[in-house]
Amino acid sequence: MFHLSRLPRKLAASLALACIATLAQANDVIRIGWLSSLTGPLSSAAQAENQGVQLAVAEINAAGGINGRKLELLTRDTAGDPTKAVNLAQQLAFSEKVHFIIGPVNSGEGLGATPVIARAGVPNLVIGALEELTDPVKYPRAFRLINTNRQWISTANNYALKTLKRSRIALIGDTTGYGTASAKTATEMLEAAGVKPVYTVLVDPNKTDLTDELAKARAAGADVIMPWSAATGLVGRLLNARGDMGWNVPVVGHTALMAPQIRKLLNKPEYWENVVAAGYASTTFGADGKLPPATAALMEKVRSRIAPGGGEIELLFWWVAMGYDCVKVIEHAVKAAGGTDPAAIQKALENTRELRGVFANYSWSPTDRNGFPDGDMVPNIANTLRDGAFKLAR
Amino acid sequence: MLSALVAGLATGAVFAATALAYNVMFSTSKVLSVTTGHLPMLGGVAGAYVIAGLGLPWWLGLLAAMGTGALFGLLTELVAIRRVLARSDEHLWLLSTLALATMVQQAVGLWWGTEPRPFPRLIPQDFSAGLADQKFWLPIALAVAMAGGLELFYSRTMAGKLFVAMSEDAFAARARGIPTDRIRVASYALAGALGGLAGFAAGQLTFAYFALGLTLTLNGFIALAVGGLGSNVGALIGGFALGLLNALASYWFGGEYQQTIAVGLLMVVLLVKPEGLLGSKQVRPV
Repeated sequence: MFHLSRLPRKLAASLALACIATLAQANDVIRIGWLSSLTGPLSSAAQAENQGVQLAVAEINAAGGINGRKLELLTRDTAGDPTKAVNLAQQLAFSEKVHFIIGPVNSGEGLGATPVIARAGVPNLVIGALEELTDPVKYPRAFRLINTNRQWISTANNYALKTLKRSRIALIGDTTGYGTASAKTATEMLEAAGVKPVYTVLVDPNKTDLTDELAKARAAGADVIMPWSAATGLVGRLLNARGDMGWNVPVVGHTALMAPQIRKLLNKPEYWENVVAAGYASTTFGADGKLPPATAALMEKVRSRIAPGGGEIELLFWWVAMGYDCVKVIEHAVKAAGGTDPAAIQKALENTRELRGVFANYSWSPTDRNGFPDGDMVPNIANTLRDGAFKLAR
Repeated sequence: MLSALVAGLATGAVFAATALAYNVMFSTSKVLSVTTGHLPMLGGVAGAYVIAGLGLPWWLGLLAAMGTGALFGLLTELVAIRRVLARSDEHLWLLSTLALATMVQQAVGLWWGTEPRPFPRLIPQDFSAGLADQKFWLPIALAVAMAGGLELFYSRTMAGKLFVAMSEDAFAARARGIPTDRIRVASYALAGALGGLAGFAAGQLTFAYFALGLTLTLNGFIALAVGGLGSNVGALIGGFALGLLNALASYWFGGEYQQTIAVGLLMVVLLVKPEGLLGSKQVRPV
């Protein structure tokens, strides 16, 4: 029989439990694993992304966290090594029991690490461009923020075919997994557009001279050179060979073409003329010479960290913006899901439409894990880097 | 086609110089150090840093390249070779030199950066020189000079003859009063200086790049095995052959077949002539 005199005691106990639960959740930090190749080959992108990730975490924590829960960032340096990336992904997912994993940075690392993260059921923000890194069936909790490789290639193809109105294309890929896959995809996409490349070759990324490849491309009648390689050394040698040959053929391709390091590798600064790379609307100056407001605002927030003395930003700012957005997407997902339950996070991200970020505006769906819209990609003039951004190639 | 041949010869010269450095160290220790390819890497980075970074004259860059190489050679002998050889006959040096090679590569990557950096022009010359460009002929000339110099060193100098004596029979050499430990230390310093010099001469071809070491370690070893372990002329021939084969394979079939053909060459030579083209057969009387 229910006893009225016990009610206040029961109520008090329930209230106390509720308070404890609320307090526990407030103290329960949101643990974010960050697989970043801070050292090793291709570390430039990771170091820039890291600036954005750290800034966003600091901002959110300073504002009281997400729903009262502070963020804890667990950064692991993969050194660009796929084996390390897999081991560290396992450690973060199974030992550290993180709620989210950002990365790995490079697609080659992601090919090994993404299935491991998927097996652990941890929501994963993918920042590698290879198509294979997302799949709503195999990796249901992997959501991509960066563009896909096809979007890069499509931007370059469109510029060559529609803007330059040239169709005699020479494709030069490197022999890494990325270069080989990209050259194949680029060939398929060009052929789908009715264009057969006049010359295709794969070269070792450490090849010391590309004069022969360019001579063959010229003999084949190429009027555009399209390199698909992330190796700045190879890209620098390609531009040097073109310049030394005195052949002013347009070069259109991968973002590595506009990496700041290229400038130092060139025999002459003018060898960087007539080079266009697939870039981003968020880091492209408009006709008024200004950047989009969100980009400009983030730049001013982070400038003192990445440009000593508050001077000009010399790294590619889109990496910073994407790192920043990764954490902001986590904030959005936790708020929308009402917590960090992986299934609820998956549902929240699947239902995300036009989430405004700095790097891009993201949309995912139950059948599409690629959040970056085509419209946020633009061709950039490679040698126009100023303050982390570029001019539009018209 | 001609440019493929010249570029192949130049790249092969770097492999040959690495193989020569292998030989110098092998002669006194019977060790094939994994750090060998890192000697040219260090030479290239040190030279670029002194000339382009500090703005000092090229000859100081050259001294820095050779000095850095020699110091790293000494460090290799001290840390990865001496104690391992003293305690074990097993091939544990493979692990110790691999560990040291990995450490130095990571250290250089952290300090110098992980992207390739340019190596300064050493001799005033326009970039339109084509096949006469110094980036091709400097490493070729250096590799030939290194092989010739080492031959003279071994045949005409007392120190060189001590190297040869140790190479043929270290125990007999020690029994004859030769300070074998000191000779081994000297050989590592000499190999280091030569490796650093090779990296300096090839810097314009390879750029100053932290990850160059393991590539050169592998290709230098293939050049050495093809030419014949212990033979300087063999190392030169092996290096040039490998460079040319790489270039021609890439020219005719594409870069994806380059490494396969290079390693294929190694296997063919080892099957047909295990001692290499100019290596001597190890005959053990029983």
